[in-house]
Amino acid sequence: MKLKSWEGMLAFLFLLTLVANAMLAPEFLTLQNQINLFQLSIEKIIIALVMALVIINAEIDLSVSSVLGLAACVFGYLVHIGVAAPLAILAALAVGPVAGLINAVLIARVGIPSLVVTLAMLIGFRGVARILVKDQSMGDFPQWVTDLGQKGFLGPIPLSLWLFVIFAVGLGVLLHRTGFGRQVVVIGTNAEVARFSGLDVARVKTTLFLMASSMAALGGVLYAARLGSVRGDAGVGFELDIITMVLLGGVSIFGGKGSMAGVILSILIILNLRNGMALTNITGHIQTGVIGILLIVSVLGPNLWERLRRG
Amino acid sequence: MTVLELQHVSKSFAATQALKDMSLAIEPGEIHAIVGENGAGKSTLIKIMTGVHQPDRGEIRVGGVAVTLRGTQDAQGAGIAAIYQEPMVFPDLDVAENIFISNRAESAVMNWRRLYAEADLLVAKLGVKLDVRRAASGLTLAEQQTVEIARALSLNVKVLIMDEPTASLSAHEVARLLDIARALRAQGVSVIYISHRLDEIFQIADRVTVIRDGSHISTKPIAEVTPEGLVHDMVGRAIDSFAVKTEASPHGAPVLQMQGLGRAGVFRGINATVHAGEVLCFAGLVGARRTDVALALFGIAPATEGEIKIDGAPVTIRTPAEAMAHQIAYVSEDRRKMGLAMTLPIFANISLASLGKLMGLFGLINAKAETAMAETYRKQLAIKSADTRVEVGKLSGGNQQKVMLAKWLETKPRILIFDEPTRGIDVGAKAEVHNIIRTLAGQGVAVIVISSDLPEVLALADRVLVMREGTQAGLLPIEEASQERVIGLAAGHDMKGAA
Repeated sequence: MKLKSWEGMLAFLFLLTLVANAMLAPEFLTLQNQINLFQLSIEKIIIALVMALVIINAEIDLSVSSVLGLAACVFGYLVHIGVAAPLAILAALAVGPVAGLINAVLIARVGIPSLVVTLAMLIGFRGVARILVKDQSMGDFPQWVTDLGQKGFLGPIPLSLWLFVIFAVGLGVLLHRTGFGRQVVVIGTNAEVARFSGLDVARVKTTLFLMASSMAALGGVLYAARLGSVRGDAGVGFELDIITMVLLGGVSIFGGKGSMAGVILSILIILNLRNGMALTNITGHIQTGVIGILLIVSVLGPNLWERLRRG
Repeated sequence: MTVLELQHVSKSFAATQALKDMSLAIEPGEIHAIVGENGAGKSTLIKIMTGVHQPDRGEIRVGGVAVTLRGTQDAQGAGIAAIYQEPMVFPDLDVAENIFISNRAESAVMNWRRLYAEADLLVAKLGVKLDVRRAASGLTLAEQQTVEIARALSLNVKVLIMDEPTASLSAHEVARLLDIARALRAQGVSVIYISHRLDEIFQIADRVTVIRDGSHISTKPIAEVTPEGLVHDMVGRAIDSFAVKTEASPHGAPVLQMQGLGRAGVFRGINATVHAGEVLCFAGLVGARRTDVALALFGIAPATEGEIKIDGAPVTIRTPAEAMAHQIAYVSEDRRKMGLAMTLPIFANISLASLGKLMGLFGLINAKAETAMAETYRKQLAIKSADTRVEVGKLSGGNQQKVMLAKWLETKPRILIFDEPTRGIDVGAKAEVHNIIRTLAGQGVAVIVISSDLPEVLALADRVLVMREGTQAGLLPIEEASQERVIGLAAGHDMKGAA
């Protein structure tokens, strides 16, 4: 199975999940249930869309969940000490570019592998978040903030779904139709070739890490709004779910290959699969195991197929 | 009685025959030099003798007995070892540990005192002073080589191959290495000495073998050869496939001037001018640092000395983007590593260096214009492919070369640098590439061609710049350039008037 038909295979898998779920649990196919699915995972979803570009560029950002946690904690802390909520949101969003810049400088200018830098920052940013809020849970946000995270925005459709559509389309166009997206793919394929063609490799990488952290900070604000309170462990472990979404979407962990359509399908599959399992009372641990197996099979499948075909 | 003998050894890789019916006999206790041009088959020869490759035909005899060498351990067991330009030492171990790294321990407990004593003895045998308790990380390149030689000696080798051992050494260190080689000979070890440097060979060798195009050409006692004779044997092929250019083409104003151009520790003192419509070829042996000059002009590894002038005005080039702003293009020698994104389609590779002019509102790529751009080159350069959506990795070497060329032609270069433009492509595609280069020069582009293929140099060049070990050994108008003259300069011996 070649990459071209990968999206086709994912679409088939998605339909299969839908049909199976609908048969097992009648309440599954309601619009409200589908909307809820997005709402409950929106932070991971929008970060996964950016992470796709980062991985196609042959880099990785493990620090996103900690940036998310830090932004959420900055927001919670500022509201807690009496800062107006709009200001607190701006401050939380500002965590993104700052964190992204630290990552980008170490990776693109100093030249340390992104796996190492963002692993360190995964620990570092989390530490800052925990120092900020200690062992407390900070809540009591203004009503409009929690409404943003929980109620409809522009009609019955919640903010999270709007954001998903906007970012999915926007980042899809960015990756597949613009000069920047082409540079991302070429650098991911072979950074030396990109450099010898006059591309500014460091600038592209810097932009990507800024984008990833900024999206993570936005995710942090959405997370706080959705749950109505934050703790120091906000978003712990999200990075693995996010990377799973990207890889199942057919993005090569070695860079250079992948499509936004594949990542979106993969997000839909994971959401519905988990939801279907939940509706039929399969526990969270087993759900995680199933997703893990799916990922292994999805990565192994094409390789085995190729090998069989070539004999 | 020979210590090592190759009899009618042949070796092919895919379509290339690296060695043809090669026979060679090494006497005990002799220093036997092997010389040959780039690609003459020296590396393959070494790999056959050290068991890295096995011959397709023919046999290897050690002390008169036919042997099969399946790897360097086998070769060491048979008493054959090699040292290279870049020595291999373990930096965190000390000298003595490095020397005995390949020796099996006799007991579970190390006898350190004996280890150091024996290491001292070996180093002394080589006539060098070296503290065997020092950490290898602090050693100079020359000292690391000494460690490698001592290591070989500890294995009781009968034949030690030295492959370009002096390429990175200072004059003083070279003299010491030659002394070590003599010390080895005095102890009955045979040394196979491979070098581009003719002066060293005349200082040290007892006999010298010339190989060319994978074949044995001659083996003579050093007293019976002259530098001229060696060079003649090295290049003495008939030029049939290419016409030799006999006079320079007419050319225009100076476009690119290099004045004392250099990069610290890499190359220095390059003085040359390329005019519009002129082809300047860089010739030289491997390690002459020709590509580094190109990398400096293209901003990958910028120059640190001297001056680059374009149209008479001094310019600074620190990045490829700056070079491209001056309309310089560099068609690199390694398509896979530096030239093409192999998994991407033809069109994306052709547009890669010109994305800016395809981008409109919000940086969107004009897909129609991009396809049209690629189609133009597919037809113009006769790239053999159904359309331009085919992955570049699926094309033949010659067609890949054309795609890379198209990428750079689209940048409308005024200065075009080709690095080994025909390496690894078939004869037909080679002729096409030569025609393209001539056409470009005819259109007034200032062309630089780096090539290790001498007939190619003589077929394309208006002038030939010969480099040797990072310096400019000569700048010949095509009328004065002959194979002998160029190789002579490249090997450090000007044969002006001799040819």
